[in-house]
Amino acid sequence: MAQDAHPSPAAKDAPHAGGHGIGRYIAVWAILLVLTITTVATGRQDLGWVNLPLALTIACIKATLVVLFFMHMSESAGANRLVFVVSLVFVLVMIFGVFGDLWTRAPMTLPSGSPSTLGPEL
Amino acid sequence: MSSSDAHALSPAHEADRQRHLAHHFDTMDTQEYAVRLAMWLFLGTEVLLFAGLFLGYTVYRHFYHETFHEASRTLSIVLGTTNTIVLITSSLTVALAYWAVKTGKNGLGAFLLVVTILCACGFLVIKGFEYHHKFEEGMLPGQFYHYAEITGPGANLYFTIYFLTTGLHAFHVIVGMSVLIWVLARLLKGHFSPGYYYPVELGALYWHLVDLVWIFLFPLLYLI
Repeated sequence: MAQDAHPSPAAKDAPHAGGHGIGRYIAVWAILLVLTITTVATGRQDLGWVNLPLALTIACIKATLVVLFFMHMSESAGANRLVFVVSLVFVLVMIFGVFGDLWTRAPMTLPSGSPSTLGPEL
Repeated sequence: MSSSDAHALSPAHEADRQRHLAHHFDTMDTQEYAVRLAMWLFLGTEVLLFAGLFLGYTVYRHFYHETFHEASRTLSIVLGTTNTIVLITSSLTVALAYWAVKTGKNGLGAFLLVVTILCACGFLVIKGFEYHHKFEEGMLPGQFYHYAEITGPGANLYFTIYFLTTGLHAFHVIVGMSVLIWVLARLLKGHFSPGYYYPVELGALYWHLVDLVWIFLFPLLYLI
């Protein structure tokens, strides 16, 4: 626990008022660092199709940790969770709407010079 | 962290909390609920804003897969990784600053906010070096692109998207930094206590969003 030059009455109540101590924040930070090192170590190796799903999975795990614990979503009111989850749902709607277009395009409609006519490189 | 905390407050902090009740709210519980909900609504719009850019990236990466792969190799992985670690650490310090102010440790909170702001400056300086390198090499957006090593179709698009996404992100870093400086100034003036700390909380939430965006930008631009 950190030292404070001006202890206030509330400092005694820290376990109640804070809900939890700094241990959880530091644990989350350590996991984020490990995941960053993992994604850097694997990111520029040629793992074939594994590269992108792996990088995105690690990014999603990191984002989830930040949202749940740094942004306190894990103890947040229901309406806040709903708002954030709904915004993510709309992101998915947008992504799959556009992918539907990409997957079903005729080759003629592709931009000039584009080498790829296969599905999106996910 | 919402109304239940109020029960643990000392009478002095509870009085301080009630002092900040705006006239259009019935109770402080309602007000705190409303400010948090409003912040999450705003963060939802921010997610959608960046999602549009990520989607643009995905579409052009699909069309120009090889070129995008080649272009991503020109970015410095050392600088990118350093910036990722700087941002993650600043996210930790701002979360700790929030915790410190909430538990009445204003001195510690101010110190942690200063560390966070310094991390933000560090991020921008490193980003500045990266941009400078690209300006010199001619890896510029659109018609200004004149980098000789990668000339395939879509090369300028990669750097258009690179500058748009990282530029918008850097703008968010500057805004987040300004918000945290404002929060720090108010903290130093003694405006916050365990009874009234939600400006620190909202500033921290915005800063975490900046970190969140970078968590996706970094692998997409630098690694894959």
